[in-house]
Amino acid sequence: MSLAGETPRHGPQIDVQFDRADRCYEPGDDVLVRYDVGGLGIDTLRAVEHSVLWYTEGKGEEDLWVHFFERVAKPAVAGSFRVTLPQSPLSYEGVIVKIRWCARVRIFFHGGRDFVSEHVFDIGRVPPARMPQATKP
Amino acid sequence: MRLPRIFGKKRGHRRTGSEAWGSFGDGLFHGALVCAGLVFGSLLISGVAVPEWRINHDFVAARGRVLAKGLVKRTVDDPLAATTATWRPTLRVRYDAAGTSREAWTRSQPSTGSPDRDAAAVRLADWELGGEVPVWYDPADPAAVVLERGYNWWMWLLALLLPGALIAFGGSGLARAVRRWGRSEEALAAATGIPGLFGPRTPASPTATDLAGLPSCDDLVNSPGTQLRYRLPLESPENWTLLGLGLFAAFWNAVLLVLAVGAGLEFTSGRVDWLLLALLVPFIAVGGGAIALVVRGLVLAAAVGTTQLEISDHPLLPGATYDVLLAQGGSGRIRQLTLALELVEQATFRQGTDARTESLVVWRRQFDAWSDVALLPGARFEVRTTITIPADAMHSFTSEHNAARWRIVVRGVPARWPAFVRIFPVAVYPAPLPQPHQLRQPGRKVPA
Repeated sequence: MSLAGETPRHGPQIDVQFDRADRCYEPGDDVLVRYDVGGLGIDTLRAVEHSVLWYTEGKGEEDLWVHFFERVAKPAVAGSFRVTLPQSPLSYEGVIVKIRWCARVRIFFHGGRDFVSEHVFDIGRVPPARMPQATKP
Repeated sequence: MRLPRIFGKKRGHRRTGSEAWGSFGDGLFHGALVCAGLVFGSLLISGVAVPEWRINHDFVAARGRVLAKGLVKRTVDDPLAATTATWRPTLRVRYDAAGTSREAWTRSQPSTGSPDRDAAAVRLADWELGGEVPVWYDPADPAAVVLERGYNWWMWLLALLLPGALIAFGGSGLARAVRRWGRSEEALAAATGIPGLFGPRTPASPTATDLAGLPSCDDLVNSPGTQLRYRLPLESPENWTLLGLGLFAAFWNAVLLVLAVGAGLEFTSGRVDWLLLALLVPFIAVGGGAIALVVRGLVLAAAVGTTQLEISDHPLLPGATYDVLLAQGGSGRIRQLTLALELVEQATFRQGTDARTESLVVWRRQFDAWSDVALLPGARFEVRTTITIPADAMHSFTSEHNAARWRIVVRGVPARWPAFVRIFPVAVYPAPLPQPHQLRQPGRKVPA
């Protein structure tokens, strides 16, 4: 399995575009993800998986929850999927707990290998948490 | 076809993994366990269960005359170079098998032997030479004759339990490995329950629940308030600590009492066990200290008095303001009493073989404070105030290893007692979804 970020240097490349340039959404919004797969060389695609999920980062063990998942058995090198976002959880930048939403496009090759591209976006506008400071009314 | 990589490596955003080999090794290990269970089970069945079954169902009954008797010694070499021997009685009997007179030594299962030769000899004395005994012979091999029938139930249990446990454990691991094989992290997380174990790769419902990560607030709204809608439950870890300490003190002092009674009885009979007495001194110190701590905790809990908090609605929503009733019981004077709202992050992680949880207050706002509160016995101090949840507040969040919890915290500094903290958990939910007319506002709707 390979994981690619925004700018892979070689091998397969998945360009992902969100319908909002800032990738900031509100709960209940629709998010539209379009993608193009390039750099395949002689490899051919066997399947593509689309998913929208959240996972935690920080000091604790990672928790992961898949909100949307679909597998396309007859894939093309370009595609899109639309998902209605849920009420919760909102994206959160805490001190020891962080919640990240992302869209993943995972491609499977004939031969068994796979390659995943992950793209983070935000739900809600919760400001980052800071270290505690007592405030008075 | 390219084989999966054996090693894993992460460089920046790029990661090369060995999940395929991991699943393969996992499956191999559990497959070996299944094979071991099958082999072990078949050995036990063929070596123990089937012969015993045949004796009870296929062997033919006959009368045998005892011609001679003796003991059979069976020696087993154990891997640790020790040798163990078992003894069992055997008889040479003459019996009629399908019209033919035969003579043979009786057989029995190796497990019926005794390590005590004398016990086996005593048992042998029960049979008299020339006497008649019931025997059963094998119609397929008339020379095989036994003196006893019946089932060795513990051997059957062993034959079922041990291989069964190996097959069950290995089989479940093998099923897990098969389930993981070739499936992505997202596909595994999306498939839930037994149908997801072996079912289609795409779940029936592509989207999960709309309220993932929100804690239930059922336990927070099941107690009505006296003036406001809900009375909030008190989170009191110190009470559990006090209970644990009380149990420890009771157990420790019970053991101490038994030892002390023993020492006292010896003392009254004129003997003094100085070693026991010396050991009792530190035990008494620990027991006395535990009792003192429990009594102190009970006195503090009773002296400060109970704290109750009521709230006008629940769960709480960002940007909303709620009435809160604070009621403090007890007697005496409290120099300062404060009420604050806090957001606590909790992260559970593994450190070696331990699971640890770290908590950190990441947001705190004090909403009200009262000074020189005089508490009168029989009349509690009651005051109403309000709290406002910030409009951009993070909602309460709970997952398996991570959480963001909201709570109202009452802190008090009594004049004569140590300061106390009372914690009341609350749940903050995300703001409701915008109404349809709001969704149609320009810039809100996602273009197709």
